Amino acid sequence: MAHRLEITLKETLIDAEGEGIRRKARDYFDLALDRVRVVQVVTIDADLTDTQLETIRTEVFTNPVTQVSSFSPLDIPFDGCIWVGYRPGVKDNPGDTAVEAVSDVLGIQLGTGAAIYTSRRYCLTGTGLTAADMDKIAGELLANDIIQQWRVYLPSDWSSEEGIGLILPKVRLNHRPTVNTLSVDSDDLLRKLSDERNLALNANDIPVIRAYFQNPSVRADRKAVNLADPTDIELEYISQGRSDHCNHNSFRGKFRYVDAETGVAQIEDNLFKTYIEAPTLALKKRKKWVMSVLWDNAGVGRFDDDHFYVITGETHNSPSNMEAYGGAITGIVGVYRDPLGTGKGARLIMGGYGYCVGPRDYSGPLTPRLSPRRLLDGVIEGVKDGGNKSGIPTTFGQVVFHPGYLGKCLVYVTAVGMMPATAAGTPAHEKRTSPGELVIMCGGRVGKDGIHGVTVSSESFSATTPAGHVQIGDPYTQKKMHDFLLEARDEGLIQFITDNGGGGLSSSIGESARISNGCEIDLEKVPLKYDGLDQWEIWVSESQERMTVAIRPGDLARFMELSARHAVESTVIGRYTDSGKLHIRYEGVTCAYIDMDFLESGFPQWEFDAVWRSPVHRGLTEPVLGLPGNFSTLIEDMLARPNIASREWITRQYDHEVQGTSIIKPLVGVDRDVNSDAAVIRPVLTSEKGIAFSQALLPSYSAIDAYHMTTCTIDEAVRRVLAVGGDLDHIGGVDNFCWPDIQFHPQTNPDGPFKAAQLVRSCRALKETCLAYEIPLLSGKDSMYVDGHLPGKYGETHKVSAPETMQFSAISVVPDINRCVTMDIKMPGDLVYVIGVTRNELGGSEYYAHLGYTGLNVPRVRSSEFILLYRALAAAISQDLVASVHGVYAGGLGVHLALIAMGGGLGMSVDLSRVPAGGAVRTDQVLFSESAGRFLVSIDPARRSAFEALFDGLPVAVVGQVEEKPDLLIRGMDGDPVVDIPVQRLKASWKKTFGDLI
Amino acid sequence: MNKIKALVLTGYGLNCDIETAHACTLAGAEATRVHINALIDGSVRLGDFQLMVFIGGFSWGDDHGAGVIQSVRMKTHLGDEMQRFIRAGNLVLGICNGFQVLVNLGLLPALDGDYQQRRVALIHNDCGNFRDQWVQLRINSRSPCVFTRKMTRIELPVRHGEGKFYAESEVIAGLESGHQIVMQYAGKDGKPAHGRFPDNPNGSVRDIAGICDPTGRVFGLMPHPEADNHPASHPDWSRKRASDRHPGGHYHEKAAAPDSLSGIRMFQNAVDYFN
Repeated sequence: MAHRLEITLKETLIDAEGEGIRRKARDYFDLALDRVRVVQVVTIDADLTDTQLETIRTEVFTNPVTQVSSFSPLDIPFDGCIWVGYRPGVKDNPGDTAVEAVSDVLGIQLGTGAAIYTSRRYCLTGTGLTAADMDKIAGELLANDIIQQWRVYLPSDWSSEEGIGLILPKVRLNHRPTVNTLSVDSDDLLRKLSDERNLALNANDIPVIRAYFQNPSVRADRKAVNLADPTDIELEYISQGRSDHCNHNSFRGKFRYVDAETGVAQIEDNLFKTYIEAPTLALKKRKKWVMSVLWDNAGVGRFDDDHFYVITGETHNSPSNMEAYGGAITGIVGVYRDPLGTGKGARLIMGGYGYCVGPRDYSGPLTPRLSPRRLLDGVIEGVKDGGNKSGIPTTFGQVVFHPGYLGKCLVYVTAVGMMPATAAGTPAHEKRTSPGELVIMCGGRVGKDGIHGVTVSSESFSATTPAGHVQIGDPYTQKKMHDFLLEARDEGLIQFITDNGGGGLSSSIGESARISNGCEIDLEKVPLKYDGLDQWEIWVSESQERMTVAIRPGDLARFMELSARHAVESTVIGRYTDSGKLHIRYEGVTCAYIDMDFLESGFPQWEFDAVWRSPVHRGLTEPVLGLPGNFSTLIEDMLARPNIASREWITRQYDHEVQGTSIIKPLVGVDRDVNSDAAVIRPVLTSEKGIAFSQALLPSYSAIDAYHMTTCTIDEAVRRVLAVGGDLDHIGGVDNFCWPDIQFHPQTNPDGPFKAAQLVRSCRALKETCLAYEIPLLSGKDSMYVDGHLPGKYGETHKVSAPETMQFSAISVVPDINRCVTMDIKMPGDLVYVIGVTRNELGGSEYYAHLGYTGLNVPRVRSSEFILLYRALAAAISQDLVASVHGVYAGGLGVHLALIAMGGGLGMSVDLSRVPAGGAVRTDQVLFSESAGRFLVSIDPARRSAFEALFDGLPVAVVGQVEEKPDLLIRGMDGDPVVDIPVQRLKASWKKTFGDLI
Repeated sequence: MNKIKALVLTGYGLNCDIETAHACTLAGAEATRVHINALIDGSVRLGDFQLMVFIGGFSWGDDHGAGVIQSVRMKTHLGDEMQRFIRAGNLVLGICNGFQVLVNLGLLPALDGDYQQRRVALIHNDCGNFRDQWVQLRINSRSPCVFTRKMTRIELPVRHGEGKFYAESEVIAGLESGHQIVMQYAGKDGKPAHGRFPDNPNGSVRDIAGICDPTGRVFGLMPHPEADNHPASHPDWSRKRASDRHPGGHYHEKAAAPDSLSGIRMFQNAVDYFN
């Protein structure tokens, strides 16, 4: 018997959630609502007595001070009512915690099949509200049809006794788990089966797969376990293992790179080995602080004698593009499992984000699945819940708006962890599986969610993409598991640990069993959310919040005791062997039996044609622009550009100070509202050492050359960590490539070869710049299909490809956080310096974009020149000579002079003719050039000679000074005043773009 | 003399355990992080401690009202033991989610010495969102609160989505007459925020940020004192350093800048209470 409880705030209280919906309905749809009240609906599918129901109503679900509730529909007046609930099988986190609470307070275990579902009912009042209005609000504001269902009621439809009725989104499969075999009689047949089953096998892999299963000795081995043709679970395993997501086939591919102008051709064999692995291994030899790279879930660097830090970055683009909240929360919670699954496990200490989305106010002819505004709202909220509820500070982040991301958005999530140097006496960053150890699955249960997620993210988004791979992460379950596993680690119970992300058990066990060289898994032991999953589904499901752990049999009792203490489910599902076989059984019957080394042998390399046409060859030129007259307005308008304007509303939603480690916060300055260059935390509370962390994204430069996009992005990330006091001799990097499809197809991807050439050039730049700055790549990932097909005005579709994008993260150890510096100018009379040369480099700049141009002269990184400046600056910071340091990034000096003035709440007088310049540059060029390698520094005049001595012979100049009167005064190249604006006005312009958002 | 023993409650999605234990240690206490289930199964005894800290976090995901399910579990399994703990003259501190737990347990406000009844609530911020921000706080010198003795102003971060203090007006009157309103949001000038956002970040009635029981030994607050554990925790530290060393320089906000590490002083007051 099911019961439906409705709960709402007392009439007299402000309904903040309802108020937010009212505001959005007005802003998004121009719909004037008078009032929105939210009713929480808890539907309890369990046999409970009236007394029990009353107990849970009052003890668990109703706050007597603020709420009213009833098991019959609450009588709230409305002109329209919308009910929104999850579809069957979608993760309902509040429903799950309600089960825990009800069991606890009643002292009973709810029976199998019992469940609690949560949903919401929105009571809207407003004149003239139609069913169509409500459908719009439901579908475009309150719910996403991929994961949710809704019903709309007008007062005339509403029954005050029945209300919404009893809606139970229960999964009922009525399916007996079955293993099927697939024929390998011919390539065509296997290809056809692959398409039918959505296996996404690569055409070139099919002959290799067939050859394996037709090999007589393989067939003989298989006969012994009663297998012949491959089973569906085996082909799913191969499909997951060979997917671009897991295997990085593009980065390991062979590129025929041709320069179209010269005709010179080069073969690039394996970009990963050449441009990522080789330089990182070379640097690892020189940098003793590099502990572990290139094999584990995240890279490991030394923090101090007793601690190592761990870092990695991921993207979660396709799911976020379809269900922004679910995709983003799953992304951030998922990346947090990577450090937890690195070495024998790391505690999470920090997170970062990067969102690349279409213009928030896009109103053109294309129709993305979610409007850019709604998509961004959802992504922000997903990372908020995922990060905040994990208790991990989100210390740094960026947002880039570009129409190319209308096709598919990018959601970058980065995780930093910390581990002791040793765990129970053994090196904590090392791990292995050995024969005889038990395979344990910890955390969440397995359902149909996420099946084929990996293969889907390896394809472009289209109308036929299955929606079932969208999930909702559960930070609560994961936090419990995180705390438990770290205790188990400290007791020496963990021999090996890895996360279940893309590919589920198939990846985590498949990869970990390669170390011991075999495993035997009994799939029926895997705890399920509901019955009826096929064996292959259990094996590849990507249900979240799960880790796979190897422990010794003798440690089992203690491990389970700790697991129970932390209320975490852990299950032995098999053991590691050295049989050389991946052996999977279900109720004793073998359903998979494959050689462990099969995935590593004999598969053909992917091949790409890459054709480079230089910017000049492509016809790019500099725009012909006359000198502007009104620089004050121009600076204000530049500050208001979405890619420059304040995003305080996002930063403040993220807990950036939990764990008590925050030293340089994301917002700094006198009013604590201007962005810092980088974040600094003090992860070991008894130490004065810190970690500085920054990220950079400059996709607009790819319109000219992805080579320079890459060098400039790395240079910016480096300057950011240096600006706060990072150590140039200890910078670790994380590269996250997001690239449109690079495989040529005459109809569907005619410019694939150019995008492939951009990728080759980007990789070359990555290696060159990392070697120059001595940055080992501690971790990195690639996401290769950031394209979408969007409907246009007439029903036609348009392929929209994202600009070639690489996010670069830099992490550095700060020897003494007491020497850290912020970007805001601090004292009137301080001298303002520009460090580094400003050149006519406005190609791809915000200034050109503002005026509608791309240009040609993209900024270049001159690393050998820049390093001299960086060393001198690092010395000045460590000698405590500077009052403020800030890098000059997108928007150039004009924007960044304004930002440091806003940070300080003080004025500045600046003479542009004193700026170190390369070549002839005019006032607008000096103000808005985005030349790399530059900083703005302010110092106490008393420290002038000591400071300048460090920069002897380098391109550094005093360009002005800090003024008490809070006005920004700028003289142009000819000495005439060109800008005179109160700093408050600059700030108002900078804040107005997103100023009404909280 | 033996050190004061502080119990820092952990588990089920709570998350400020390490820095809260660190803050207790800085204050001279001996801090132990204890899982809720270790108290319930009796492997750790509450009676062995003098200070119990309910920390911040998202217990049970805060899915059914912040701190609600934790308080249900605590009340079901440890209700009597906590009552004894308080009656024995010990101290209880609830920070953020911990404050929410204390009010849901009825340990606060305990008007008329009734430590069972829910009389106040912490609900969704009026701004409609989670918010991380440092706030100015006025401390009521007439409050019996043990944790805020000799303190008048303090600046700490708030980090919550459900921190709006709400109670019926007669309850507020009761709190006022017993001086149980310990801490209120204020402007930069130290004057009451009078509900003004963002000085009052959540719309709390009477700008209330923290209250105590009539004895002053049970204290709950939304801001995070444990976050102020190093001179460089404060958002202005880098500005302050620049002005301090500047010859003849002055610091614009000097008048408004409270003592650093004032968060730790709350824990020290707790330790001093027993000495």
